[in-house]
Amino acid sequence: MIEFRNVYKTYDNGTKALKDFNLFIDEGEFVFIVGSSGAGKSTLLKILMREEVPNSGEVIVDGRRLSTLRHKDIPYYRRSMGMVFQDFRLIPNMTVFDNVAFAMRVTGASTRAVRKKVPYVLGLVGLNDKARCLPKELSGGEQQRVGLARALINNPSMIIADEPTGNVDPRMSFEIVDMLNEINRRGTTILMVTHEHALVKKFRRRIIEIQDGELVADSGPEVEYYGQ
Amino acid sequence: MGSSIKYLIKEGFRNMWANRLMSFASIGVLICCLVLMGSAAIISVNVSSMMEWLEDKNVVKVFLADSFNGTDEEKALMEAKIMGVGNIEDEMVFTSGEDAFASMLARLGNDSELVNSLSDTADILPDAYTLTIKDITRLNDTVALLGAIDGVYTVRSEQDLANTLTNINRFVSIVGALIVGLLFLVSMFIITNTIKLTMYVRRLEISIMKSVGATDWFIRMPFLVEGIFIGLISGIVSFGGISYVYLTVLNSVPEIAEYGVIPYSKIWLICLIGFLGAGILTGAVGSTISIRKYLHNDGGLNNV
Repeated sequence: MIEFRNVYKTYDNGTKALKDFNLFIDEGEFVFIVGSSGAGKSTLLKILMREEVPNSGEVIVDGRRLSTLRHKDIPYYRRSMGMVFQDFRLIPNMTVFDNVAFAMRVTGASTRAVRKKVPYVLGLVGLNDKARCLPKELSGGEQQRVGLARALINNPSMIIADEPTGNVDPRMSFEIVDMLNEINRRGTTILMVTHEHALVKKFRRRIIEIQDGELVADSGPEVEYYGQ
Repeated sequence: MGSSIKYLIKEGFRNMWANRLMSFASIGVLICCLVLMGSAAIISVNVSSMMEWLEDKNVVKVFLADSFNGTDEEKALMEAKIMGVGNIEDEMVFTSGEDAFASMLARLGNDSELVNSLSDTADILPDAYTLTIKDITRLNDTVALLGAIDGVYTVRSEQDLANTLTNINRFVSIVGALIVGLLFLVSMFIITNTIKLTMYVRRLEISIMKSVGATDWFIRMPFLVEGIFIGLISGIVSFGGISYVYLTVLNSVPEIAEYGVIPYSKIWLICLIGFLGAGILTGAVGSTISIRKYLHNDGGLNNV
């Protein structure tokens, strides 16, 4: 489903973000991506989101070669994935309902469809009673659940979570990964960048470690915590 | 699709309200520019109109030599020669020397001694044609050509006045066009920057839109609606302001209407279309340029 073949990425300032990077992630996998700051994790996600293009090598997602994707097709490609950010990225002057509906509107969904689906997805993340609240009226964990609902609203085949637990308390972190687990059980591929070893240890999913732009460890699918 | 358009238009208005301070600033700036541009255009148009009025009054007298007897054949021949010069309005008035003398007598009064002393010499004045020049800027050449016609004694015109008026007209036209052009560029620059600033404020929204798969068109549309609406409001306010000033001037100094100043009833519709058109165009083009540049250069998914 996701394949990186001999990918090199060097930025204009000379930073070598990825070096001969190879990776294969199958459909329906749950993968933790770990590594220190500046290891190349963000570049990996940016390439997956088609925000950056590798200098050489090939990235294939669901049979699409990202380097040959036309500019006008990029939005449609992005609709096949949901993004969850560390800083939630909710629009402050929009209610919870509107923040989630917003992602659906972008795809041209009708008002009727929005009114039907948003409450359903908010129910999945346990936020139906907060639909009319503004983001500032919610806790960090609740805000991240709104982010998760927004990522889910368009039925993506893959969710990319960039340190989704970075700004929430430990108890809520486990809840959020639990939700991602649940989503994964329904067949959605999950890529989650994290620094929290406790989570990685508890959930025992595939772990990929990146250091200095290279893949240094790959636990393989569904194994015991590789650090043990 | 229809639902999307409705939503995007609603979003445009919502954004404008949410960023009302910025919208208010944009409207203020655009009103200033439109009022200045509109004033320059209206002054220029009015000066041109006054020039036309003056041109209508620009009468040239062609005095004929004594050899001219005023027969119908001679008149037809002379009129053909005069028209052959070009730049002459079709209607020309022939005044015989006798008629001109009689008219002079009437002006002076029949009982004056001067009149009595002249009454025996009724043929003292030459026959003459009174012509109107079409294009005042070519007056000098036209007068020279008229003077060269065989049978013409002399040509009298207000060449100095005409030259001065021509220069004023040329100056006003060039300066007016320059001012309008310059102010248009200034307003475009200001609107572009104001909307760019609005976009910077809303970079979070744009980055989220991009991350969830919004097309460039979808991102642009609310900004375009906002730009158009800002332009529309600015156009209406500018039109109202200029109309008020124009009517006040016309009502305060009604005499100017006699000197070729365009009446409000003839100018209001063009002004309304002009102000609304310029406002909408500036708003729309300004927002399109800004968003295009922003999406191309800065609008990354993580650029918040």
